[in-house]
Amino acid sequence: MAKTELAVVGAGPAGLAAALAAARAGVHVTLVDEYPTPGGQYLKGASHPDAAPPVFATERRGRALLRELAAMDVDLRSETLVWGIEIEIEGLRLALHGPDGSGWLEPQAVVVATGARELVIPFPGWTLPGVMTLGAAQILTKEYGVLPGQRVLLAGSGPLLLPTAKELARRGAEVVAALEATHLSQWSRHAPAVWGNWERLREGWGYLRAMQRARVPYRFGRTVVRALGGEQLEAAVVARLDRQGRPIPGSEDTVAVDTLCLGFGLLPNVELTQLAGCAHRFDPTRGGWVPTLDERLETSIAGLFVAGETTGVDGAGAAMLEGRLAGLAAAHKLGRVSEGELTRQLAGATNTRRRLRRFGTLLNCLFAPRPGLDAITTDDTLICRCEEVTAGQIRAAVRQGARELDAVKTWTRAGQGPCQGRTCSPLLARLIARETGRPVADAGTLHVRPPLKPVPLGALTLEEQP
Amino acid sequence: MNTQADVVVIGGGIVGAACAYHLCEAGLKVHLVERRFPASGTSRACDGLILLWDKMPGAELALGQASSALWVELAGALELDFEYARQGTIFLAEGEGGMDAGRAKAEALSAVGVRAQVLDGPGLRSLEPNLAPDIAGGIFFPDDAQVDARRATLAMLSAAQRRGLTLHTNAEAVAIQRAAGGAGRIEKVITRDGEIGTETVVCAAGVWSNAVAQLVGGELPLRPRKGHILVTAKVPGMVHHPLLEGGYVSTVQSATEDLQVALVAEPTASGTLLLGSSRQSVGFDRSVSMTVVGAIAARAVRFLPALAQVPVIRSYAGLRPWSPDHLPLIGPWAQVPGFYVAAGHEGAGIGLAPVTGRLITDWITGAKLPPFAAVVRPDRVFGQD
Repeated sequence: MAKTELAVVGAGPAGLAAALAAARAGVHVTLVDEYPTPGGQYLKGASHPDAAPPVFATERRGRALLRELAAMDVDLRSETLVWGIEIEIEGLRLALHGPDGSGWLEPQAVVVATGARELVIPFPGWTLPGVMTLGAAQILTKEYGVLPGQRVLLAGSGPLLLPTAKELARRGAEVVAALEATHLSQWSRHAPAVWGNWERLREGWGYLRAMQRARVPYRFGRTVVRALGGEQLEAAVVARLDRQGRPIPGSEDTVAVDTLCLGFGLLPNVELTQLAGCAHRFDPTRGGWVPTLDERLETSIAGLFVAGETTGVDGAGAAMLEGRLAGLAAAHKLGRVSEGELTRQLAGATNTRRRLRRFGTLLNCLFAPRPGLDAITTDDTLICRCEEVTAGQIRAAVRQGARELDAVKTWTRAGQGPCQGRTCSPLLARLIARETGRPVADAGTLHVRPPLKPVPLGALTLEEQP
Repeated sequence: MNTQADVVVIGGGIVGAACAYHLCEAGLKVHLVERRFPASGTSRACDGLILLWDKMPGAELALGQASSALWVELAGALELDFEYARQGTIFLAEGEGGMDAGRAKAEALSAVGVRAQVLDGPGLRSLEPNLAPDIAGGIFFPDDAQVDARRATLAMLSAAQRRGLTLHTNAEAVAIQRAAGGAGRIEKVITRDGEIGTETVVCAAGVWSNAVAQLVGGELPLRPRKGHILVTAKVPGMVHHPLLEGGYVSTVQSATEDLQVALVAEPTASGTLLLGSSRQSVGFDRSVSMTVVGAIAARAVRFLPALAQVPVIRSYAGLRPWSPDHLPLIGPWAQVPGFYVAAGHEGAGIGLAPVTGRLITDWITGAKLPPFAAVVRPDRVFGQD
């Protein structure tokens, strides 16, 4: 069994910052990441030769972390999955699966920085080849230097539309439009929360300018309600939305495209903290289910810390700040940072954290899909792609009494496939809430069990403790 | 809900569903109360095998044979498809010693009408080419079958609903009111969702049945034993029949508290493989242990080396209601008039659910009982193992 002082799970902005803050304090750090190169979604492809030079301060700070990582003595385990966690009285241990096989890692503390994933509101045809998330389009372009298609339409809600449109246009795709589901007029009442977040505003403004230069129209109050095509996406049906997000009948327009990129905001990846048994709460202003944390970013399980989007969706800048603090808090737990130093660092970051969180909360609330938008999920829409369960089947199960995720899973098989409900569970929760008229939180969560993601059977046999 | 019923069934797992179905078939007015939702306990955390070869010739086997026949009827009668498949199962003998035990079992069972076909190594591999080349042989039991237990529960409940069943979900039974200051006949069942007047209660709460028995001041000799199952990605054609390591029976019948693991590999209609099995006495803890997951994985790769590269997509653990003599508790409970028990099936609850429902119905309606009814009475004297 391999031992380490601190295991950091996820090498995105938060994980990098946590690993480096702890390493600087002299902690032996193992940084575990699923991807071939560190950086997470935000810094994806930053070290690629075709990467655009960083424009914004947050991006520059992120790339500086990547450079520092290369110079520091941090044990980086790329292409390695954490598929299980066990909390024992003697301590905790992680089950890893990487290029060299499987094994236990026994750290004295853990920082979970597993980031967030995209929410898509499904509609008929959303499973056609050529339809993907904004994040997937970014991975293709930034990591692999491949354009997802020639004629691209983007639809959804939130700040990710802009950088994706900019990147696709920069690489030569014809970006037909970026469709933002909310109405511009809905933005104004959130103005006070913007104050002080100049860097993020500059970022947004920069993306808008870049889109303008590339002649990509940014249109409000519209979304895609249907994707058309036989074997492959051929066209998208766009409709105008009313202020509740409902498509306005008769407003549909068909646009010929070969690629459709969707994203309706981000959801924290909390499977690992759920499996560990940490306390969680449902908070829509944070993006959904988040672990309950104390001031020092420690969960209800001693020695288990969380940083970045996993704590609630606030953006890369907040993730790096939180990552650094979680790394210091873990180092303090390991006796490498004094109580005074940690208190000073936490106090010094309080105002910035508060401001970043205010802005993150604004975005999460402003861009949260409106209830009316669920109308695009018609009964024939596939919800669980793994088990091929439609919205109609799920609504029928709810009407028959399946009023929680667990019951819907048992009755319809939705969420039983290879993705373990990662994609469909938030959609199921929305459908249950809409059908029962109760809050989304009442739908509960699915039981999370190992393996967190599929692992070959032969790799599940781990050597036992000596 | 403040209403009157002939019978209240407590528990919405496969056994409660079978009781409700048969009671409704007999024309009784039945209410079923379930603490959470149908199949929310053990019935969705198990495999779906309907086995005969694991039963001892005598009352246990007779019970199994009666139930297997009822499953055939149900597969034809119920409206909802529950993936009933009678493709037989294969008992695997790892070495020659296991083969001798297998032959003896085949002989004993053949004598009482259970078909069995002895397979040598090449014969076994012609049926299951992906088995390890050093597995000595096996016995093919063509009468065994399988179902999707979760769907079978729903199918029986919905058929019962069509015959008049009233189903109450999220309605935990919290009290059973009795006449004569708590010593007489049953008057009503009080749930979190209201009261149902009745003189007859069937306790079909599986591993949680003791909590129900306590409502009438009783105690059932049941204990939870945890079993883990892994689910692989879809690998159609990898395994053609459910495969069970010969050691499975001794694992189930062993009284030890420690972890026991024996291979069960069940191909499902959707193409996934369910891999088991394990037994542990660890109370009501249903969490998945990675140590057990690893032990099952190792056993599966031992018998089916090609599985080593197949992804496991999920795992789960369920609690099997263990009884001291490995026979279920089915029938009236003499101490409390009107109180019936249908519980304690350990790992055979899916297979024995229909016969359980039928027996309970026969007891309640006063129909003629089969000879094995006395053997499984819940107030029998439990001998030592």
